[in-house]
Amino acid sequence: MNDFAIETKQLTKIYGAQTAVSTVNLHVRKGRIYGLLGRNGAGKTTIMKMILGLTSITSGEINVFGRNIKGQEKQVYPRIGAIIETPGFYPNLTGTENLEIFAKLRGTAAPNAVENAMEVVGLPYRDKKLFGKYSLGMKQRLGIANAILHDPELLILDEPTNGLDPIGIAEMREFIRHLSVERGKTILISSHILSEIYLLADDIGIIDHGVLLEESSMSELKKKNGRYVQLQVSDVSKATLILEREFHTNDYSVQDDHTLRLYDTALHMGEINKALVMQDVTVISSALCNDTLEDYFKSITGGEGIA
Amino acid sequence: MNWALIFGFTTLLCSCAVCYLSAKLWRVKEQLHVIQNALEDIESGNVNRRILARENDMTKSICYSINEMAINGQEQVTRLKQSEQSYKRLMTSLSHDVKTPLTSLVGYLEAIQAKIVIGDEKEEYIGVALDKAHHLKDFVESLFEWVKLDAKEQQFQFEICDVNELSRDILADWIPMLEDKQFTYEIDIPNIECSLRLDRNAYRRILNNLLQNALLHSGGNKVYIHITEDDKQASIVIADNGKGISDKDLPHIFERMYQGDLSRAGNGNGLGLSIAWELVNVHGGTIHAQSPPNGGSQIIINIPKAL
Repeated sequence: MNDFAIETKQLTKIYGAQTAVSTVNLHVRKGRIYGLLGRNGAGKTTIMKMILGLTSITSGEINVFGRNIKGQEKQVYPRIGAIIETPGFYPNLTGTENLEIFAKLRGTAAPNAVENAMEVVGLPYRDKKLFGKYSLGMKQRLGIANAILHDPELLILDEPTNGLDPIGIAEMREFIRHLSVERGKTILISSHILSEIYLLADDIGIIDHGVLLEESSMSELKKKNGRYVQLQVSDVSKATLILEREFHTNDYSVQDDHTLRLYDTALHMGEINKALVMQDVTVISSALCNDTLEDYFKSITGGEGIA
Repeated sequence: MNWALIFGFTTLLCSCAVCYLSAKLWRVKEQLHVIQNALEDIESGNVNRRILARENDMTKSICYSINEMAINGQEQVTRLKQSEQSYKRLMTSLSHDVKTPLTSLVGYLEAIQAKIVIGDEKEEYIGVALDKAHHLKDFVESLFEWVKLDAKEQQFQFEICDVNELSRDILADWIPMLEDKQFTYEIDIPNIECSLRLDRNAYRRILNNLLQNALLHSGGNKVYIHITEDDKQASIVIADNGKGISDKDLPHIFERMYQGDLSRAGNGNGLGLSIAWELVNVHGGTIHAQSPPNGGSQIIINIPKAL
């Protein structure tokens, strides 16, 4: 069975003379949260729109649930829930009435779908408040409720935290994680905020000027970065003793029988090397790792960084 | 003449009925096709698949029942995945958080055995080694408790009890320890009954973990314990005048184990908070931390009142 919920091959979109998306090969694995990170105008929304058939594809193909989406729209779209930009609701109807319309149009997966969806996002069911009177946060929640109304397998969320306050953002994050962990949904989410993707995503794709620069799992990325000195020594227990007794630090961790990481990078490495060697601990190598995630993104995007 | 009219009318009526019925039949056939596809998909393991039904579909109740079954299957898959995750976290934690102190413990003992240290220094080394061994033991105990909670394997015995009285009982045991560590304390617990549905042991563990944290890691010298109630819930506030929690860490202090950032949790102080968080959750309550502007940190637990 195919492991990808979404897979694009050489996906390209050209508007007139401008290439908005250029030969993108995206791989969204089933049951994971995929964060699409890029600056405003990098092409995130265009990719999402092409997946959802909201704009035409110039070239390339999109496979959703292991099948080319072309000609399969009717089978595939009911299995996807999405918010792209601001969702279109009727301002003169209440939130519940709005959702009931969509439930009627799309069909539902359970008898009390509208009530459930509203409960999940924390909006009152059958409240009298009109959509036009909703705050931005409530509108965004209703958008999410609409996206999960038919209990879809795949969610495509374009900047879902836009315009939310910090508490709202934290709640949204919690909620998206819940959908992924407890309900097994696959989620494709876009953002221009590094920290947001960092906190949420399992996999990450970095896009800049329409080009997918890097695709990687978050755990791989986290492994790569951090500030520490990695020491390879002949005898770790002796080395830790020296660090504690002579350098008064316990800010280290033992990786394996010959490797330890020292996080206190302010210590003088020359002194440490000397002390170790003096006491018969052979230092095989010592390497400074000084990458932070920001540095990493800067290096990928060619120095400009991501807001 | 008259007969011809009636005949024509009946024919028209019949053909209308035929059209209507065949349209209906066609739609049911279409829907059956959708159901068949979905069933094949579910059978091959995709328990996230749902079948959407419109309001007047004849197959609606069948579709909903199939969805219900798929949801049940999905919940089981989630539970399995969660216990698998807990197991993985346990393994990672063992390899990181246990290995480091154990290695350094070996370092001390080897130095003693090799007679590198003698006299008072040797006594000191033995003291440090014993300390480390005790820490390790506590850590391993907390770790197993946490894993049990995380895998939802722990059994609880809930009973209605007076949180004010129970808290006073628990605090009475703490007073000698606080005085021993030169901590002053301010306890403000009302002299009235406040009934909550609690597991006594779990509640004791929550308070113990939070107080221990304040005592060992806050760097302050005063703790405050306040309990207040309104008509919905009781709030237990435990505060200290220590160094506080940085804004960056504030949202994550209860989820240390979630972030996969285990490398530096060596002394296990994140674990106590994670356990407290899990236990408060079991009571249907919430726990969060604040850093008040005048310094120190504040942990606030809200537990809903027994109905």
